[in-house]
Amino acid sequence: MLSRRTIRLGFWLVFWREVGWLRRRPFLLGLTTIVPLAQMVFLVAIFSAGLATRLPIAVLDLDGSDLSHTIIRMVNATPDTAVAVRVGDLAEGRGMILSEKVHGLLMLPQNLQRDVFAGRRPEVVFFYNTQTMTTGNLTVRGVNAAVPAAAAGIQLSLRSEQGEPLEIAKADLQPIPVQTHALFNPALNYVYFLLTALIPAVLQVVMVTTGAYSVGLDVETPHRLRILRVLGGGLWPAMAGKILPYLVLFMLVLGISDTVLITGFGLPLRGHSWLLIIAGLLFVLSCLLLGALLAVFLKSTASGVSIGALLAAPAFGFMGIGFPRLGMNTFAYDWGALLPGTWYLIARVDQTVRGTPVDLSWKPLVVLLIFTVGLGGMLAWRLDSARSAAQRTGGPIASPGPGEAYV
Amino acid sequence: MTGIFEASRNEFHRIFTVKPVFSVLIIGVAIYALYYPQPYLNEALRSVPIAVVDRDGTQASRDFARRVDATSDVAILEVLPDLASAEREVHARRVDGILVIPEYFERELLHGRPSPVALYADASYFLIYQRVAGAVSAVAQTFGAEVEAARLVAIGVDPAIAVAASAPMPLTTVPLFNPEGGYATYILPAAFVLLLQQILLMGVGLLSSMPEADRGLASRERRSPLATILGKLLAYLALQAVVLPLYLVVLPYLYGLPRLGSLLPLLIFAIPFVLSVAGLGFVVAGVFCRPIRVQLILASAGLPLFMVAGFSWPREAIPPAIKLLSHAVPSSAAIDGFVKLSQLGAPLSAASSEFLTLWGLAVFYNLVALGLAMRDAVPIGNAAQASPAT
Repeated sequence: MLSRRTIRLGFWLVFWREVGWLRRRPFLLGLTTIVPLAQMVFLVAIFSAGLATRLPIAVLDLDGSDLSHTIIRMVNATPDTAVAVRVGDLAEGRGMILSEKVHGLLMLPQNLQRDVFAGRRPEVVFFYNTQTMTTGNLTVRGVNAAVPAAAAGIQLSLRSEQGEPLEIAKADLQPIPVQTHALFNPALNYVYFLLTALIPAVLQVVMVTTGAYSVGLDVETPHRLRILRVLGGGLWPAMAGKILPYLVLFMLVLGISDTVLITGFGLPLRGHSWLLIIAGLLFVLSCLLLGALLAVFLKSTASGVSIGALLAAPAFGFMGIGFPRLGMNTFAYDWGALLPGTWYLIARVDQTVRGTPVDLSWKPLVVLLIFTVGLGGMLAWRLDSARSAAQRTGGPIASPGPGEAYV
Repeated sequence: MTGIFEASRNEFHRIFTVKPVFSVLIIGVAIYALYYPQPYLNEALRSVPIAVVDRDGTQASRDFARRVDATSDVAILEVLPDLASAEREVHARRVDGILVIPEYFERELLHGRPSPVALYADASYFLIYQRVAGAVSAVAQTFGAEVEAARLVAIGVDPAIAVAASAPMPLTTVPLFNPEGGYATYILPAAFVLLLQQILLMGVGLLSSMPEADRGLASRERRSPLATILGKLLAYLALQAVVLPLYLVVLPYLYGLPRLGSLLPLLIFAIPFVLSVAGLGFVVAGVFCRPIRVQLILASAGLPLFMVAGFSWPREAIPPAIKLLSHAVPSSAAIDGFVKLSQLGAPLSAASSEFLTLWGLAVFYNLVALGLAMRDAVPIGNAAQASPAT
């Protein structure tokens, strides 16, 4: 039987060995700290200016009347759109769109004013570039607000000319107004939606590959794994001591980024911070263990890192932030369910913007816990069976060395 | 000249024989082509589940709910008695929106007064919010227009005039290039360019940081660094002449994405793209020296590079300094250029600034790579000259 003290001592021996490693290998230390922090700073900088306003559009005014001038002025006055150029014909407008100098073209037809007041319902047409969906949707939102507002003004004047009281005329314009409330993110802030999910996604790639790299360095040379176990005085303390320094570093990175998001960008924390922290711990642990498992299974640092990168680098699409998981095909949905990041982002959305009640918050945490326990168990099993295989084949590897009585 | 071709042949040979390089440049290309597009292939969200709280319980309110349910965008999953229980369903992620039809909905409509409905849509996922809000307001608009037209007809207005009075100047919005507003059509053409860059960057980085086999060593010493670099670039161009059309033409076709461009401008634009990415690959390999480090550094760079390309996040909203900085990496200009040429069907002249940027990057990175190679070549050259003497 091992005494508790031996285990504790062994754990700290492995831990300090790993810390020493990190100090002697600036690349590894940089990979766990500077690289993710630099990515984070870069992402924050991209989003720092807030949402795009006054996106440039072109106008083709074939009417040149008071009404067309009013419409142009109203379109130019919305927060979303700005009339950047007047074009002479459709071909010129098309060229502007193709070179992406403008995001859309508003066409006001000839005799617009005359036909409107004659009740001939002339059409105003807005062509917009939906290849870039975010900007396309923003410009169409601006035009969709401005042109009907101009039309409503005409409707009102037409009706009051016919003697209809203004109040009733107004009610007739929109018999069923929809009062839309954006739950959890009323200002539709992209930082709370996208940036807060991007940082863990980048971190997931870094953690899986770093886990594979660091463990791979031990796996590639057979005696190092033995040293780890001997130092640790057993499998579990050795594994824990090996992982802990990375857990601490990545929790710090995650903590720094969350502090920036919460204090700098006002990311709400409507749920419970302790649930967010537990989710973070399990997320970091499962990513590191996944990387470690890859290195141990593939028995090579290079393959472990390659496969880890292959799994984690394109994972963001599967985690269902940009395109939600409910719209995915079965493969993508199930594959997404196997990624720790998917569940961490669910827990994160729950605890930050949504403020989900505790009794409805447990599911992603339980899944992350299962990942952690499952991956840890598989890793231990794999290491153990590798050792007994080595013992069976005999040879100098299995010869008991000093201190091996503990193993 | 023969040195260039020899170097090119040698590099081509290595692409297919060095195992990690083959895994990245050939197997990686195949895997990503199948694996990456999976989440987006359904193009659009359909039948987003919502709950209805019907406080009115009349013919009109049930009719309204049925019309909402009939749209392809949303589906009514539950009818609940109050807002509190519906909110709980949203927190439990069983529904993504709540439509509240207030009491006296029908009565107000019949009286000719505005009869509002309330919609609470989950904005923690923007696409869900857009779907739900778009579907419900579209139904409210048509339902409302029918009610109003019916009212005007009832007081004796001519039906044609009644319709004109409720919409004197209709607005038609015409979405270009992605008429369905599909997510795959939006994200994949740009993502494919980024994938091409990341795969080539990784491949070149591995090739240049791995020691060459002894076989080619004797001839390599005789080759000038310039010939070596030109030869390698030629090999990458040959490889990408197959891979790039596969990603930018064949895959979009297989996945059914609309595209308008022709092949020739794409291929012309691809030349500086491949050269600049390869040059950057040489430099990355020169800085980080070891293949494993090259892999680790490049693995996590993809996502931030995609964000700065101005696709998910509008380029107008990216601070100019960051935008400028991002042009140090080929993907920023390349995504813009390739999307214009292949998706919008623009002529090469519309992408001239991107084209020039890529040429500038290609020249710059390859010159730096040449400098690094010449620095490294000096001691080897000395050793080669010294060895016959000893």
